[in-house]
Amino acid sequence: MKKVLSVILAMAMVSGFTACGGSENTEGGLENAFNGTITVISREDGSGTRGAFVELTGVEKKNEAGEKEDFTTVEAVIASKTDAVLTNVAGDEMAIGYISMGSMNDTVKAVKIDSVEATTENIKNGSYSIARPFNVATKENPSEVTADFISFMVSAQGQQIAGGSYITVDDAAAEYTAAGLSGKITISGSSSVSPLVEKMAEAYKELNPDVEIELNTTDSTGGMNDAANGVSDIGMASRELKDSEKQQLSGTTIAMDGIAVIVNKANPTENLTVEQIKTIYTGEVTEWEELA
Amino acid sequence: MNNQTKEKLARNIFFAFALSSILAVVLISVFIFAGGMPALKEIGVAEFVFGTKWKPTAATPYYGVASMIVGSLLITVGAVIIGVPVGIFSAVFLSSFCPGRLHRVINPAVNLLAGIPSVIYGFFGIIIIVPFVRNVFGGNGNSILAASILLGIMILPTIVSVSQSAIRAVPAAYYEGAVALGATKEQAVFKVVLPAAKSGVLAGVILGIGRSIGETMAVQMVAGNQPRITFDMTKGIRTMTTNIVLEMAEAADLHRSALIATGALLFLFILIINSMFFVLKRRMNSER
Repeated sequence: MKKVLSVILAMAMVSGFTACGGSENTEGGLENAFNGTITVISREDGSGTRGAFVELTGVEKKNEAGEKEDFTTVEAVIASKTDAVLTNVAGDEMAIGYISMGSMNDTVKAVKIDSVEATTENIKNGSYSIARPFNVATKENPSEVTADFISFMVSAQGQQIAGGSYITVDDAAAEYTAAGLSGKITISGSSSVSPLVEKMAEAYKELNPDVEIELNTTDSTGGMNDAANGVSDIGMASRELKDSEKQQLSGTTIAMDGIAVIVNKANPTENLTVEQIKTIYTGEVTEWEELA
Repeated sequence: MNNQTKEKLARNIFFAFALSSILAVVLISVFIFAGGMPALKEIGVAEFVFGTKWKPTAATPYYGVASMIVGSLLITVGAVIIGVPVGIFSAVFLSSFCPGRLHRVINPAVNLLAGIPSVIYGFFGIIIIVPFVRNVFGGNGNSILAASILLGIMILPTIVSVSQSAIRAVPAAYYEGAVALGATKEQAVFKVVLPAAKSGVLAGVILGIGRSIGETMAVQMVAGNQPRITFDMTKGIRTMTTNIVLEMAEAADLHRSALIATGALLFLFILIINSMFFVLKRRMNSER
């Protein structure tokens, strides 16, 4: 009985192998033709990079119920860290992945998005589309201490913190000197911006021990509403301010977040449109030749 | 202090130490089941265990871990198919056929395998096994098969060393008697000695299964981690362990609780495997 069972198991495994012979990568024949099944590499649910990527590429869209839903294909390989995305893409000719711009290295190749190269300059001038600004917004005439904290965020010290994981907005910012203020600042808004603001707040409190900062994490729209209604002093948004919000609030960009879409170095693909990236990540397109 | 009180004191101290490991087990069980309870209550046990959709951060979240149960089982079965025959034959060779000088080289090498950190196995998997699976069997390489091969190697030292000591524990009279009755060396080893050692060999196999179902780091690096059911060995899948380690860092509220519940489920599996082992062992001992 045991023998029979083990033979059946062995056969099941072997048939499992042969069943997928068809998906083997074929050698590239014609010039520029790149064939094979795309290995889609994504990050885990809850990752900030994934959140930004699906939002900016439209992989996250409204479902029938009108709720925003992440439509990343279930066939996507899930890598838990940026390093794992890099290793996977560097090792698999058919792979595509995305990482925060700051983690880019030369083991992989970043593709152009809508013919725009993924560079810091293109993010700063707004032509690279898979990028977003981190904004903080206040009502007109904020309190003295609130204005002081915002001036810290865009100062040399604040921008140095931003440069750790994001793209700075001003590399030649002036030094900040503490004015010895005291008071309380309440901040609320985007969960993407809040880790950065939290770090900045810690550094600010070291220089201004009498200032108390309270940080609430919700989302961009919630943060803008809180700031407009006076619930909090500063609202955080991981996007541009809407026109309706600009009527009541004035925004300051404290950093930029850019995402590079990366492929293997052996992949001849130089350029992808946002629409193509969306179809790859939602699983509508599964073969490289469909993109040619 | 007379000798009797000294002895009593010593006994109590040792008893306290013995209790500490029981206490640890109890604390872990309490924490994991209490932590997972709220999620199970809110999601529903059937929805959690049999649900095939895992979308913890969606507006309408789904918390079904069926695909991860399937993943853990498939990868473990694969590891057993690959690791057990190799392990048992290695143990037989090392205990009965291996010349002494070679034994002094192979045995430490096998034991060294047990000491390699699992993240190193994971690197080995990413760099060697994943491309191997991709080139030979197709798919993208991050697959059930790659994880099974890797775990098959990782469980070898456990199976080899436990089986080897079980085979060595068989009285020499069994082997000598079989040879005296005209059996060849191979017949004596495979038909007399190995069957006599089967409960010990089985212990090694069960320990190996326990290790492979609980392994996390190495599996996460080669398994692809897709939360959906597949039986295609060249496709990736998520296991219960990798689900926890992937998402724990960023999870909050019900999502976090659901991950702890995944841990509780895993713990339950380990308990089932261990009790199966005890039942089998008892049955085997009474047969003798």
